[in-house]
Amino acid sequence: MTDVTVAEGAIARRRLGTLVDGGPAWLGDRRTAAWDAFTALPLPSSSRDEDWRRTDISKLRLGDFAPAGPAAEALVAAARARHARALPQAALVLCGPDGAVSVDHADSLLAQGVIVCPLQEAALRHPEVVRRGLSAVGVDGAYFAALWNALWAGGAFVYVPRGVEAMTPVWVSHLAPEAGAVSFPSTVVVVDERASLTLVEDRVGPGDAAPRLSVGVTALRVADQSRVDDIPVQQLPPGTWHFATRRAALAAGSRYRLLGATLGAGLEKAYWDVLLEGAGAEADVLAVCHARGRQHLDLQSLQLHRARDTRSNLLYKVAARDLARSVYSGLIDVERDAVHADGYVLNRNLLLSRGAVASGVPRLEIKANDVRCGHGNSVGHVDDEERFYLMARGVPAEEAERLIVTGFFADVIDRVSQESLREWLTALLAVEIAGAPAAEPEAATEDAAEPGGRGS
Amino acid sequence: MTVQARELTKDYRYGFHDEDVSVFRTEKGISPEVVAAISQHKGEPEWMLRFRLKALDHFLRRPMPTWGADLSGIDFANIYYYIKPVEEQGRSWDDVPESIRLTFDRLGIPEAERKFLAGVSAQYDSEVVYHNIRADLAKLGVVFSDCDTGLREHEEIFRRYFGTVIPPNDNKFAALNSAVWSGGSFVYVPRGVRVEIPLQAYFRINSDNMGQFERTLIIAEEGSYVHYIEGCTAPTYSNDSLHAAVVEIIAQPGAHVRYTTIQNWSDNVYNLVTKRAIAKEGATVEWIDGNLGSKITMKYPSIYLMGEGAHGEILSAAFAGDGQHQDAGSKCIHAAPNTTSNVVSRSISKGRGRTSYRGHIKVLPRATNVQCHVRCDALLLDEESRSDTYPYMDIENPDVTFGHEATVSKVGEDQIFYLQSRGIEEQDATALIVNGFFEPFVKELPMEYAVELNRLLALSMEGSVG
Repeated sequence: MTDVTVAEGAIARRRLGTLVDGGPAWLGDRRTAAWDAFTALPLPSSSRDEDWRRTDISKLRLGDFAPAGPAAEALVAAARARHARALPQAALVLCGPDGAVSVDHADSLLAQGVIVCPLQEAALRHPEVVRRGLSAVGVDGAYFAALWNALWAGGAFVYVPRGVEAMTPVWVSHLAPEAGAVSFPSTVVVVDERASLTLVEDRVGPGDAAPRLSVGVTALRVADQSRVDDIPVQQLPPGTWHFATRRAALAAGSRYRLLGATLGAGLEKAYWDVLLEGAGAEADVLAVCHARGRQHLDLQSLQLHRARDTRSNLLYKVAARDLARSVYSGLIDVERDAVHADGYVLNRNLLLSRGAVASGVPRLEIKANDVRCGHGNSVGHVDDEERFYLMARGVPAEEAERLIVTGFFADVIDRVSQESLREWLTALLAVEIAGAPAAEPEAATEDAAEPGGRGS
Repeated sequence: MTVQARELTKDYRYGFHDEDVSVFRTEKGISPEVVAAISQHKGEPEWMLRFRLKALDHFLRRPMPTWGADLSGIDFANIYYYIKPVEEQGRSWDDVPESIRLTFDRLGIPEAERKFLAGVSAQYDSEVVYHNIRADLAKLGVVFSDCDTGLREHEEIFRRYFGTVIPPNDNKFAALNSAVWSGGSFVYVPRGVRVEIPLQAYFRINSDNMGQFERTLIIAEEGSYVHYIEGCTAPTYSNDSLHAAVVEIIAQPGAHVRYTTIQNWSDNVYNLVTKRAIAKEGATVEWIDGNLGSKITMKYPSIYLMGEGAHGEILSAAFAGDGQHQDAGSKCIHAAPNTTSNVVSRSISKGRGRTSYRGHIKVLPRATNVQCHVRCDALLLDEESRSDTYPYMDIENPDVTFGHEATVSKVGEDQIFYLQSRGIEEQDATALIVNGFFEPFVKELPMEYAVELNRLLALSMEGSVG
């Protein structure tokens, strides 16, 4: 067992050595520095690390996960079907858990001068742009980001040159690793001045509940006056430990809009960071999360206002049922030079069952004085009166609740502008809301701990 | 009012100090010997000495908290943990040594007592030097004494509740207080008795390098009511002083306790206080908490809503001037059905001042039909000021209505402009806006305190430009 695991001992170092040797020197240096940082850091602890206070991963054994092999054909077909149904006009970048990447439907984009290719290939052919894209993600700060920086392979790279409005969206599919394995999904996007792009990032896997590990990074660099629509959809299998960092660095006058849906994984810790670095940059982060079973879904957001006249707005709506737990923590950080910054966070939680838990810490740290910042946070339940109203009109109780939850999510989902994508997301949510039982756990072939437990 | 205030001294007006007249003090620093000396000097029962020594052990073993304000400047070895100013406690102000009495005269305490208080306690360094309660209340069985007297004269009831709300191992500073506590108040209100006019305690640090560790225990029996007010000041010294109090409140079913604090320590005092109340069935607890002074304050008054239908109310106001850090907040733990809580926090940072709101709302699984609401607003007056908001919430029951809102802004230019256009100077306009911002807090204070607070604010606001 131990001689096939990643992130522990000789195999990880061998993998690191192969990756370093196979790539450009600058990237090798980056990987080595990240590996050194990673090996020096302890596993985040809920008793020691504020960011992890409500998310206990002490049962995670990195050494239990083997490097992922190629994706099963059924999974590839499922991922293609999602793209075909939701946004068939989009260029499709299929990223296998083993680092294999295929690109389809990208001709019209390539004709515009847009680059859509595997990240490893881009690191060799377009090193300056990839370095720009990666520059927002530090190698040595956080445990899982350091691990990703050292060991990522494959991944998607998108570059939109100056003045180009990408004619079609780019759909990046990250396929979950097989049972007992680990993958390092990667997306790096650079959108140059006065350009625009719509990105969909779909994380998908089979329905079984076997343990898996996914450690990913999505880095976006949005140059002056450009626009990016970013649509992450996370529907990983229920046994997955998912650690993800999503970081958008926004230059002057740029506009970033994230519309996210978090549905899957057993335990997730996601960082969504928006760095408003240039004057007048704007960010809207709108997301829904549905948690059920024993899912533990933790989102930590950062709205870092570094420049004047920047605006950010975050709306995060969570519905949790069964024994699921939602953790949200967010920080609006306004630096001294960010005068006239305007930042807002709103976190709304709907608890649907006894046993479901919502926690939150929407923080503000304000160091400039001419600002307007705020946050709101609420927890509620399906109102008996609403339910009664619907039932009085002949709607059965369970259906009434489903309607209310669907309505709760609608104000985020309705903002997806592509009709087919909106309908697809609505359908995904409907399945979650209906509470179709997750597939029975497969007989665990690996003895990796399952995530999502409440820590006794 | 602001114009008048500006004519007053620019300094912290309570920064004076008296000659040292203390009759006993322990050596600097803390050790089992110092703790034993305090206990022995007070002639305490054996169980209290054991309690103190156990607490000392907790204190020594626990690391300094690093999650909040910067406490690295505290030198535990350079502090006097017990300084006894007088031999005997006075029942009338004439019994209090003249220099100490003059201090309290300058602070206006005897005058306030005559006018509108039901009882007064005045603590000077480690001991309460004056204590009095109106005879009619005493006749009804109301006990209002210093905590040492509470232990001596009401040991049975004291021992039943002491350290039950805040155990000695709760946190490092509660442990320190439990080891070296002295003075503070013991309040007992019998069943059904309503103390309609406030009781007040006044805490004064006089000595340099002083640690004041008063301990307050308030027990309100079924259906009773009491309003307790505390105020505090200290001289301005170049060395830092430490104030680490522990306040425990037990509100029995249907009782109503209101606790008002006007904290105005000089800006060389570390103010690290643990305050917690238990509210049983149908009880109401209110913390009215104003923080104007100190170098660093870390204080989060808490209410544990343990009984069905209990209600908690926390209203706080903080002002951080140059070099001050007010890390204040609140906690409401809902452990029973039909409990409600409401938190309102207003804070202002000026100069290089920093205010932090840190709060925690927790709803336990068995607490159905809970309602809680948290509202925090912060104003920043200067380029250099800073404001943080850290509101934690953990909701483990679906049948809850919880709302939290926070805003941070600067004093609006349009507000200032509006007032200026009506002939009000910019500085006075800012003061008016600040007064209005603190209004929800001020209106909950007895009139005399509201006037005093407004005056203090006007002083603090001097020289500020929106």
